Amino acid sequence: MPDQHHRTTTGSPPTPTLEVRELVKTFGTVRANDGISFTIMPGEVHALLGENGAGKSTLVKSLYGVHQPDSGQILRNGEPVTIHSPATARELGIGMVFQDMRLIPALTVWENVALHLSDTPFALRPRALRARITETSERYGLATHPGRKVEHLSIGEWQRVELVKVLLGGLDMLILDEPTSVLTPQEVSGLFDMVARLKSEGVAIVIITHKLREVRQIADKVTVLRGGRTILSDAPPATLSDDELITAMVGEPVAILEKRSTSAEHATAEPIIGLSGVSVRRVDGDWGLREVSLEVLPGQILGVAGVAGSGQDELSETLLGLRQPHSGTVMLDGAIVELPAVARMRKAGVIAVAPDPIRQFVVPGMSAAQHAALWNAAGSYSFDTRKADADLARRDAAGQLRVVAGSRRMDRLSGGNVQRALLTLALTSPCRVLVASYPTRGLDILTTERTRTLLKELCEAGSAVVLISEDLDELLTLSDRIAVLAGGRLTGIVPAAAADRRSIGELMTGKEAAA
Amino acid sequence: MTVRNDEALAVAPPRAIAALLGFAARIPWKRIGIVVGAYAACFVAFAAFSAWQGGNPLTLVQTMLNSSMLNGDALVQTLLRAVPIGFAALAAAIPARAGLVNVGGEGQLILGAVAATGTGLALGSQVPGPLALVATAAAGAIAGAVWAGISAAARVWLGTSESVTSLLMNFVANDIMLFLIYQPWKDPAGSGQPQSRPLPGSVRLGTLFGGQLNIAVFVLFAVAIGMWLVIRRTGWGFALRVVGGNPEAARRNGLPIKSLLLSSMLAGGALAGLGGALNLMGVEGQLQPGVTTTFGYIGFLACFLGRNDPIKATLAALLFSAIALSGNGLQLVEGLDGSIVNVLLGAIVLTMLAIGRKNGERI
Ligand SMILES: Nc1ncnc2c1ncn2[C@@H]1O[C@H](COP(=O)(O)OP(=O)(O)OP(=O)(O)O)[C@@H](O)[C@H]1O
Ligand SMILES: [Mg+2]
Repeated sequence: MPDQHHRTTTGSPPTPTLEVRELVKTFGTVRANDGISFTIMPGEVHALLGENGAGKSTLVKSLYGVHQPDSGQILRNGEPVTIHSPATARELGIGMVFQDMRLIPALTVWENVALHLSDTPFALRPRALRARITETSERYGLATHPGRKVEHLSIGEWQRVELVKVLLGGLDMLILDEPTSVLTPQEVSGLFDMVARLKSEGVAIVIITHKLREVRQIADKVTVLRGGRTILSDAPPATLSDDELITAMVGEPVAILEKRSTSAEHATAEPIIGLSGVSVRRVDGDWGLREVSLEVLPGQILGVAGVAGSGQDELSETLLGLRQPHSGTVMLDGAIVELPAVARMRKAGVIAVAPDPIRQFVVPGMSAAQHAALWNAAGSYSFDTRKADADLARRDAAGQLRVVAGSRRMDRLSGGNVQRALLTLALTSPCRVLVASYPTRGLDILTTERTRTLLKELCEAGSAVVLISEDLDELLTLSDRIAVLAGGRLTGIVPAAAADRRSIGELMTGKEAAA
Repeated sequence: MTVRNDEALAVAPPRAIAALLGFAARIPWKRIGIVVGAYAACFVAFAAFSAWQGGNPLTLVQTMLNSSMLNGDALVQTLLRAVPIGFAALAAAIPARAGLVNVGGEGQLILGAVAATGTGLALGSQVPGPLALVATAAAGAIAGAVWAGISAAARVWLGTSESVTSLLMNFVANDIMLFLIYQPWKDPAGSGQPQSRPLPGSVRLGTLFGGQLNIAVFVLFAVAIGMWLVIRRTGWGFALRVVGGNPEAARRNGLPIKSLLLSSMLAGGALAGLGGALNLMGVEGQLQPGVTTTFGYIGFLACFLGRNDPIKATLAALLFSAIALSGNGLQLVEGLDGSIVNVLLGAIVLTMLAIGRKNGERI
């Protein structure tokens, strides 16, 4: 890829696409952004780093007109601007994909796009619009199906639709809020190809991420936020070591967890949950799981790998008793259970880190303490918010995941802080089986390491952990055994000690392990 | 390592000042301004509209207040009228907690009145007074609950939208009542009018303070406060909020969603049924075609205006009741059509809809 930076550098330096000066945004007493300054140049990929709750999403929402900053200046191509609303931002050529994506599930892809476009004529012309969607999709390598309903899309395709929607409007600055935390490695590289393409067209890109590897891969500049302040502005990442970046984000260096030494001694223990020949149908009629048989053993971490939508969610829902299988049996402590049986599984000590906390865990309007009360009630009607508040503080002391105060409203927390609250509840509850789906998704580096340590400790204390993850390194580091799903089938269960990225990758494409 | 999250660290000014500042900051001044301004704008627009219709905008407010609040009789009328409206508002407010839309307040009021009529006429002269009184009111509540329960059951087991079924069932309820008062229950002494026999005195609510006021108003206030407490302080109320806020989270926490949906709607229907019965026992005295005259729908709007909060919804019901009654004054004094107040009512609801927002974030 030719470096296009210097296209405009004839004579004076180019004007920045966007410049932010001393921007402040408060919510009540929370100073989410506390004097932030940085500069984005045309054709530049600018990474925004920082811990959960550092103020990254708040900052980019101000740039996109969702929030109005309390003070500070935003300069667009050198001119001071006030961005009243997302519509103003779009007029200014700024596009954004939110951390929690904003499509309407009940509508089709093209209908969602039509709602977004300002030049959509009053009478829709579906065919023309669909053609435009297809054209843009192809141009940027974003495979989408314009006629499909959004609720049936995988999260990766959902995001591609968001991107197409934003790109169709025409822009010269694109903001991506943690786009990669929900994507598989393959999808990430697809996304980065698109970013490179836009960059070569001179579009400036702001990307929020928690992964240093991704910063190294695509960022030209990096800005680090901590506690709402800019710790580092517009620095070229090549000049900084990983430790320097981590220290800027967290304030201290972070030790990375070493690979667990696994042993097979538990293999003789009685399984807590056993699936045999379980098939599950999805809502859209396709098979979610096909003839899956596996055992969940105490004191072991069973990793589950697979490309997105290979049956991970169906597996976790079956283990949690949320779904009625189409066929096959589910055994709990050696006895067959008729599913669905959520309350029964919960009483037996089966708990979960839900794959999509915003949709499956957060109750709008309720505080963190109320969520703790709901969790502690475990299906009964006795909710004690005050006790749960104290309990949450105790759990925080044990878990050290730095959860927010119990009085904070959950639906107003940053993505990572929602995850931390969920993890604090799940990882400090006494349990027999923890089904953890993508537990480190959206977490900053420090919290990621802490979470992995807690998972390890839980297993050492004798609980069974089912770790569903798209991060192969995480699976290889933590698991005793790794089960691989492809298209709903179990293509193999391998001991983690004997596995590597390549062998797991092969199973993920659907090649069965030689039994 | 004792670092708390950065979020927990708020800037801390000295304590005494902080308390004051905190208090002042906690009052949503801007929001209050917007709401007060919106109400004022509604009144101005309404005054302009009345002027165009030939009223006098300067005496308008005076007339409206006179005929709804400023003298004892008018105030009593407002309170009495607030009973069916208020109960219908509560009937929408409780299911709304669970995310259900009960538009069936009207039908539930009607059936409450129907059941109270049947029970009151059957028991009134045979059973000792207090017992008959309670049984009559209870019959109304049960009938309302059953009527609402049908919509809820259809929703839970068949997946039909409860807002549509409860609305349609209003018309069915009205037909049932009309059938009864035209045919089997028709008062032989009613000189051909379609109406039931009057309830015997033992199942009528006695008047208080020498006027027309009866105990129903106080029952309404007590029930509103009770419901407010139930929603805030009981496990059932908490669970309803979870189901209404995020059904998937409720399911994953093992809450019994079906019985929560059903029970919220049954409770709502029972309240409307009780309201219908009390209105009949206190004011109407006999079943006749106009026994509810859209109080159910006005109650639904009051619930909306009160944001599904039992106490606020009841206060909104009082406001709507006053507005509805002020129509009489406008008709008599200003020579306007009495139904012109519906313009004000509609304006208020639409304005509140326009300035309403959910989570403080507009996108
Ligand atoms: N609408 C809101 N109301 C109140 N507080 C808010 C609101 N939005 C964000 N905050 C608070 O502002 C702070 C910064 O949040 P923000 O979402 O910007 O964090 P972030 O850096 O994006 O974190 P993450 O990595 O977890 O996504 C947090 O304390 C958050 O709780
Ligand atoms: Mg964020």
